[in-house]
Amino acid sequence: MRIFTQFAYVMFMATAVLWSGTALAQEKTVSGTVTSDAEGPLPGVNVLVKGTSSGTVTDLDGNYRLTIPEGNNTLVFSSIGYANQEVEVGSQTTIDIVMAEDVQALSEVVVIGYGTQEARDATGAVASVKAEDFNGGVIASPEQLIQGKAAGVQITQSSGEPGAGINIRIRGTSSVRSGNNPLFVVDGVPLAGDDVSGGGADTGFGTSSARNPLNFINPQDIASIDVLKDASATAIYGSRGANGVVIITTKTGKSGESKLNYSGNIGVSNITKKYDLLNASEFVDAYAQVNGLSAGDPALQTLDLGSDTDWQDEIFRTAISQNHNLSYSGGNENGQYRLSLGYTDQEGIVERSSLRRLTARFNGSSSFLNDRLNVTTQVTISDIRDSFAPISDNAGATGDLLGMALKLNPTYPVRNPDGTLFQRSVTEASPVAFLELGQDNANTVRALGNITFDLSITDDLSFKTILGGDRSASSRSAAYSGDLLIQGIEEQGRAAFSDITTINTLMENYFNYNKELSSNVRMEAVLGYSYQRFQRETSNIQAAGFRSTDIDVMLNNLAAVDLTTGNGAIIGNSTSRVDELQSFFGRVNFDISDKYLLTATLRADGSTRFGDNNKYGVFPAFAGAWRLSDEAFVPDGLTDLKLRAGYGVTGNQEIPSNLYTNRQRYSFDDNNVSNGLNVSPTGVTINNGALSNVAFANPDLQWESTTQINIGVDWGILNNRLRGSIDYYRKNTNDLLFQVFSAQPAPQEFFWENLDADVINEGVEVTLNANIADSETFAWDISANAAYNDNRVENFDGLINTGSISGQGLSGAFAQRIADGQPLFAYFLRPFSGFDDAGQSIYPQGDVQQFVGRAPLPKWNLGVTNNFYIGNFDLSVFFAGQLGQYVYNNTQNAFFTAGALAGGNNVTQDVVGNGESRGNAPEVSTRFLEDASFVRLQNFTLGYNFDTDGIEFLSSLRLYLTGQNLFVITNYNGQDPEVNINKAIDNIPSFGIDYTPFPQARTFLLGLNVSF
Amino acid sequence: MSYNTLFRSLSFLLVLGLVFTACTDLEVEEVESVVIEDEAGGFSGDAGALLETAYNQLGALTAQQNTYSLLVHTSDEMIPPTRGTDWGDNGVWRLLHSHNWDPTHQYILDAWNELNSRVFTTNQVLASTNPAPNPQQTAEAKFLRAFYMWHVMDLYGQVPFREVNEGVDVDPRVLTRAEAFDFIVRDLEEALPDLPTAGPSATNDRASQAAANALLARLYLNRGVYNATVNEQGALSPTFDQADMTRVIEHADAVIADGYTLEENYYNNFSTNAQSELILVNAEGAGDAETRFYMTLHYDHNPSGWNGFATLADFYAKFEDGDVRKGVAATPDGSDFSGIGRGFLVGQQFNDNGEPITNSRSNSPLVYEPDVPLIGADTDDGYRAIKYHPEDKGRYVQLRYGDVHLMKAEALLRNGQNAEALAMVNELRAVRGASPLASLDEASMLDERGRELYWEGTRRIDQIRFGTFADTWAEKTTTDPFRIIYPIPQQAIDSNPNLEQNPGY
Repeated sequence: MRIFTQFAYVMFMATAVLWSGTALAQEKTVSGTVTSDAEGPLPGVNVLVKGTSSGTVTDLDGNYRLTIPEGNNTLVFSSIGYANQEVEVGSQTTIDIVMAEDVQALSEVVVIGYGTQEARDATGAVASVKAEDFNGGVIASPEQLIQGKAAGVQITQSSGEPGAGINIRIRGTSSVRSGNNPLFVVDGVPLAGDDVSGGGADTGFGTSSARNPLNFINPQDIASIDVLKDASATAIYGSRGANGVVIITTKTGKSGESKLNYSGNIGVSNITKKYDLLNASEFVDAYAQVNGLSAGDPALQTLDLGSDTDWQDEIFRTAISQNHNLSYSGGNENGQYRLSLGYTDQEGIVERSSLRRLTARFNGSSSFLNDRLNVTTQVTISDIRDSFAPISDNAGATGDLLGMALKLNPTYPVRNPDGTLFQRSVTEASPVAFLELGQDNANTVRALGNITFDLSITDDLSFKTILGGDRSASSRSAAYSGDLLIQGIEEQGRAAFSDITTINTLMENYFNYNKELSSNVRMEAVLGYSYQRFQRETSNIQAAGFRSTDIDVMLNNLAAVDLTTGNGAIIGNSTSRVDELQSFFGRVNFDISDKYLLTATLRADGSTRFGDNNKYGVFPAFAGAWRLSDEAFVPDGLTDLKLRAGYGVTGNQEIPSNLYTNRQRYSFDDNNVSNGLNVSPTGVTINNGALSNVAFANPDLQWESTTQINIGVDWGILNNRLRGSIDYYRKNTNDLLFQVFSAQPAPQEFFWENLDADVINEGVEVTLNANIADSETFAWDISANAAYNDNRVENFDGLINTGSISGQGLSGAFAQRIADGQPLFAYFLRPFSGFDDAGQSIYPQGDVQQFVGRAPLPKWNLGVTNNFYIGNFDLSVFFAGQLGQYVYNNTQNAFFTAGALAGGNNVTQDVVGNGESRGNAPEVSTRFLEDASFVRLQNFTLGYNFDTDGIEFLSSLRLYLTGQNLFVITNYNGQDPEVNINKAIDNIPSFGIDYTPFPQARTFLLGLNVSF
Repeated sequence: MSYNTLFRSLSFLLVLGLVFTACTDLEVEEVESVVIEDEAGGFSGDAGALLETAYNQLGALTAQQNTYSLLVHTSDEMIPPTRGTDWGDNGVWRLLHSHNWDPTHQYILDAWNELNSRVFTTNQVLASTNPAPNPQQTAEAKFLRAFYMWHVMDLYGQVPFREVNEGVDVDPRVLTRAEAFDFIVRDLEEALPDLPTAGPSATNDRASQAAANALLARLYLNRGVYNATVNEQGALSPTFDQADMTRVIEHADAVIADGYTLEENYYNNFSTNAQSELILVNAEGAGDAETRFYMTLHYDHNPSGWNGFATLADFYAKFEDGDVRKGVAATPDGSDFSGIGRGFLVGQQFNDNGEPITNSRSNSPLVYEPDVPLIGADTDDGYRAIKYHPEDKGRYVQLRYGDVHLMKAEALLRNGQNAEALAMVNELRAVRGASPLASLDEASMLDERGRELYWEGTRRIDQIRFGTFADTWAEKTTTDPFRIIYPIPQQAIDSNPNLEQNPGY
């Protein structure tokens, strides 16, 4: 309701603004000459009376003459390649203008490690995305802002859950463990890579992944996101740079303008695609058919309880999201500030799932000591409340919420006639009961702050100190009532609690030295020291066997557990880890004659994650660029032409801490029983805690290193109206940090080793920006990017299975194998060719798994944005696509087979009459492997910018309508081709497996942006 | 000094100070775990705590997969059918039953890792210095090492060995089957004097002299198998040395001397009421015997099971009516789990109130049928076996007197003392409610062991000793004799070049 009130008010004001613009009066004439420093008089410059359509164009000598209505007092001068200028006419009749080259258009500023650079001076491969190009819509985390916007940056949300974890792969996947995400640096503070909130503990139906740790950043506070892709750019981050670096810069206040800004939106989401399940009568017929029963068989009467329930409809909903942001900013030459508050309430399209976030951010800066000392500070505080639907990554026979909704008999009612929940049996659990008789919530509070002292020691030399702190505390609690008829929960009830606290601190000191060495040689150097400390403490409690079935009592009164022997148990564990990283780094840039650019970087990192013999790693990089367009022999038509080449070595240290000291911990779970709790209707028992080995002596453990070469061309023609770049890269990752099998007898099944193998990623990235039309009334920009990546493993003599396949009768099944000569996560399946006369699967090459020449990693990543500006309207249409990848449809494998139907489970329409026998065991095979190439209309935004000239108190007002994920073109049969459920085996990650993911939504959103 | 110079000097001092105070030696104190390295980098464990771990690790043997699956599914007493889509599990179960496993089989790997890592734990107990084990702890650790190592030797025919101080870079040395046999016997004989004597108890969860004697009896009984050369043709008719059989009898007598006798009520052995047979059981909380009824009970019983394993019709046919081991009907009285019988469950099943159960999968009455195919089985195919009962399940049994009793009888038989052997077998049969046998030969001895010890994990070993392991039975047509030992898992061979693959694989 409040939203409607706001909307009505805005519409009223907008109408008032439009009316005020029509109050015209007398006219007067203005004339003058437009020039530029470089070119002299400028012809063809647009001169427009602001807020009207009346205007003119300068002649060959740069002269203009224009009659303007009085009351309209501002002229706007615009020309491609130059910054727009606005001039108050006042009483003047002659106005001469000197146009300045628009550096923004020619060469935007990119943020690199420990500094910024003009893109024209960059020697490395850096993609920069500014706020105005960010993705719109319902956005929970910063990565989504640039999904599809930067070439070679593949961003995959693991599911449609609000705030779900996100995989980012910059230039392919190079590591064979979980540490594959890039390093995130927020306003100069590198973040720790681990989760800050708890994943879903296994309370009997599988575990789930934690939500994205970056959800704490309000996307509205971000000014730009810069992605450092090649080694010459990331080497300054040394041991953490191998997967690329994503630098997030937040908005700051500006001198001279005091601004109050409100932006808000409200969105409506619905599931894009439900599974095409059988309805009640179709189900009964299909069951009879597959089991060979004739109509009237008593078995059918037992089967058919007479209702017609669409279980999917029972758990999915129309989700409403809202987002409000208020900020004020301002400043003068001595200091600037910006304060923002954000509130997001995002519902998931599955009942009970939501994300609510409250953020506050302050950015400020101030100068002292005659401007020699500049102090800046950035602080974010966020409070996130997550609600989870019981959806897990690896549910077994019982299924999770989605599995239950897919398979449950549609003739069952939701409720009994007396209104109580209908629950048939533990093997046919009701998803509605699962939702109503459970709760799973998390609360994460995170604060990130830093203070920077920038001291100018001489005109050439400055010294910078950054002190940063990042602290988060998260607790998650889940409980499922004993009234639930689900194996492992029934009669007992279960609860799980987990707390995670992280305290990370940063101190960095570095010198900047900028000097003109001679008239045509400029040098910039950085030399510094960095220290980071990562502290992480966790605790968890698992309980089963409650005296109460009331969820609130279970969650908030843990003593309700019946601790008499055999009836209930509470167990738990805690951890505390500290890691340190100490680094020395330096970089030097030379700019010779504005044509030859050279960069050399060196970083030495010491980490507590590695053994005594290899605590330190050294990471060098070199790059050069040649601005050909500044050479006389290059024709003038080429506005911009630059060749770049770079080489560098970067590292990766994302492994658990201290794997090199022989040590032990007490643990409950040594007996293949999850969490140490044995829960059954007969009672609850626990496994004895016992000492178990954590690590072998392993003093040689060291960095994984990635060597990368990059060759690129940046070009622009027609005054940069058409510009782009092409990059070729080859990344070779070796000394792979890998969990390998211990030779038994051994303290542990696995140990970490630097494996002598290579993971090669090789590819080409192309970006293209075209300014097709650019007039005051109509403009059209296209920006497109495409990236091709080829991935393979070489010189590897082991075989490692991953991609565990879950479901009834699929224990121990897997779909992917890492082996020499194959791409990472290559599918390893039985080739399937159909069913024989008896309805059994035919595997022409035998009932054995083999490589099938398919992989889940996309070959091509594409993104195309079209922006149109028509008068006050703007329209943005963004398509994203991935081509060449395959997805293993574990959902289909587990749920949609004749055997499942014969056992009384619902299935999709295509199972009926597919020729499969009810006794066929659906082993892991190419039957369930599908081409998942897709093109998606990711974003469609139509906006209107109201004319606010006549209203003093209003500086801008914009209304927009956004459609997100409007359609997908794909041959994939599952819910959505963009899916990646965590199906790791022994911590070796998988990729591209679809198993009852939280479904993707289509969202429509109405938004408002107003500045005062 | 000008203002600028002063400013610069102070700035430099400040900056240098910041840089130098910041450096760290990258040493982080270990606060969440027990470091078991001494100053010199050698091993320094806590013997008492590690011994607890070694006992708790017996819990792994209660799981239905891994080691247990290798012990039972390859014999003729149990079948793990794929029921529609259920229990397909990528074929792991079918490969075991049909004798078609290869070195990449998941459970062959998992059991290898499970058992060998437990051997390592016992090594750590023995090498501990902080504090070092006392003589009884040493004896207990040696018993447990022998117990775990015997499984490795028995299943895989080779035993790798790693000293506690050997790091990741050392390839463990490998003991041959004969060397391992001697190693295990030596451990047990060294342990015996320092182990406590313990009479029968439902909670015998520590090593005792009776446990060591029972394990020694088992070792000597099978020595003929372990000494025979295995090649692609398999063990060529093992010979049973008279002296070994005499040792079996001596060790069995030592168990009897500690007060072990046959249990009056057979099923008490698997309940909290056990009195006179249990020699070694798992500690409370070291695994849970409930797996044994879950793995077999149909979904629609109370408690709802996993509807997995069943026995073979031919095996069930070995039992005569009246033998309590064949089954005792349930007495449903409305109390929890009273609808479930003991022994084999056959025919129509009833719930706790005595009403017939409907099979929710087929929507027909739940009637267990004797025959069960390996693939494409219906959910009610196959007779189920309940030893541990949800009403009163006891500790998981590792060694019990019924086995020792029959080992002694078998040793007497193999030494030609048929009359004494027959008397012992009939003594047991009388307690179990079965009619006396008129005579005893190898075949009837094996059958009696099957009837007494079904689903307890000895059937594979017994069939190998009696030479029937390469025979055919329902859904098992492969007759490769080399399969009396499992292959070394491929991953183990890849990680330790000292291991050589067993013949035939």
